[in-house]
Amino acid sequence: MQDLKPLYDAVLNGDAKSAKTVTEQALSAGIDPMKLVQDYMMPAMGEVGRRFECNEYFVPELLLSARAMKAALEPLRPLLEARSLQPAGRVVIGTVKGDLHDIGKNLVAAMLEGGGFEVIDLGVSVTPDQFVAAVKKQNPQILALSALLTTTMPSMKETVDALKQAGIREQVKVLVGGAPITQRYADEIGADGYGESASSATGLAKRVLA
Amino acid sequence: MTDQQWQTLLAVIRGEQQRPMPTGFIIDSPWLPNWAGHTILDYLASDRIWFEANMKALNTFPKTTFLPGFWSEFGMCTEPSAFGTVSTFEENAFPFAKKLLRTIEAADDLEKPNPRTDGLLPLVVKRLQHWQPEIEKAGHRIRFAVARGPLNVATFLMGTTEFLMALKTDAERTHRLLALTTDYLVEWIAYQRECFPTIDGILVLDDIVGFVGEKDFLEFGLPYLKRVFAADVAVKFFHNDAPCKICAPHLPKAGINLLNFGIQHTLNDMKTWTGNKIALLGNIPPRDVLAQGTPDQVRDAVTTLLNGLNDRSRLILSCGGGIPPGVSTQNIETFIATVEKLTA
Repeated sequence: MQDLKPLYDAVLNGDAKSAKTVTEQALSAGIDPMKLVQDYMMPAMGEVGRRFECNEYFVPELLLSARAMKAALEPLRPLLEARSLQPAGRVVIGTVKGDLHDIGKNLVAAMLEGGGFEVIDLGVSVTPDQFVAAVKKQNPQILALSALLTTTMPSMKETVDALKQAGIREQVKVLVGGAPITQRYADEIGADGYGESASSATGLAKRVLA
Repeated sequence: MTDQQWQTLLAVIRGEQQRPMPTGFIIDSPWLPNWAGHTILDYLASDRIWFEANMKALNTFPKTTFLPGFWSEFGMCTEPSAFGTVSTFEENAFPFAKKLLRTIEAADDLEKPNPRTDGLLPLVVKRLQHWQPEIEKAGHRIRFAVARGPLNVATFLMGTTEFLMALKTDAERTHRLLALTTDYLVEWIAYQRECFPTIDGILVLDDIVGFVGEKDFLEFGLPYLKRVFAADVAVKFFHNDAPCKICAPHLPKAGINLLNFGIQHTLNDMKTWTGNKIALLGNIPPRDVLAQGTPDQVRDAVTTLLNGLNDRSRLILSCGGGIPPGVSTQNIETFIATVEKLTA
């Protein structure tokens, strides 16, 4: 039986090329795609998150591992879709209006994808109206908002208010995160959850949907 | 900054304890324009509004020191503008610069800008030159050359995600980009000093150093910070409100002697990590307490902070980072009065 630890190692070490190659080889050998995701890729991202929490990994390492995960998921996606496997949920994510920082958003998106969520990334500087339009069109279970500046944080509240005005606030869970964001702020604006770090994103997303 | 405030700052850096303990705040366009009754765009567009807003802050809070003092800026657009980035200015939002480079390879084609002529930099200098007589008439002097740091500027040019990945995937090009941004910033700081001989301090702001581990900081951060801070000035002031634990022990090697950091860390811890070689500016929660708290909560936070200090030397009491939007006059007055009362 093929040794699949190299897949785990490739994701952990941020080696996107190896991650994809090992995945393709495993698929050619007939390995179940879900086994690759659940037994190797997700545990690798879990270890990445643990190392980040312990200050062994930092943002560059997280980004490389996220990229490796994405590279490994690429050949798997069509197979998973063909088997009509339901993702853990659908997430629309974006950095709020006026904020061009995408690092937190990119990390969270990668962690959520690794955690089995379908992620629709709207990019940066997304207006409240654009978020509302995306929620209406994509029908996600979760709307994830990122902000890195205290000056752009008010857009989070504007987005929550826009959802209420559009009459769709109740159909989506709003999660917020970013360097200046706190639990207190999340509670103030009526968010459903606050993520202190990217590595906690998957757990938080699963909790709010439970 | 007045001469007395400057002397107090130097004394704090030397380790001389002050009674009462000094307070100080970094103020700039996220807080000052709205507090003074203007939009951010009016503040940035009108030199008169800029000057009068700064004077209003100085006159309203005469017992504290504002850093760097009469900060002539266009937000985060200033330094990247000289490379040709597109700056976006909305009526009352923080201006930002759009990315210029799609890949690290594209950095090969960048040329070093001329701070005397390029982007918004000449406007920064002209504003200060026009108002320098009034600033000095009011009893203040221009004491700091100010710049965003070399990693920060690199991320303005190519995006933070892309830069932090390039650091791992293309170290050689990342070094070339950082060498370019550093050369540019060294010249920009030197030009400010040339225009204003009263400058005897450098303030550099760079949050990106807080996102990397020690090995990467020692390779991609410290050498470039050393060069930026190499000028012969009395005060070498660094702002980083991303996590600081990793870089803190190494900052004295860059010559830094004053540090403003975020609320992830306590003053006690930062003192330990920097070997008490750096004066610290901090550290009550800026948003949750100074901006959103009641005056009583500000008072309590300052009292708790002071009571928890192991060593009161080399400290200027402040909030973590710069003053955020929405901080009231009353909260700042309460902060200052509490420090004065408890440390007299």
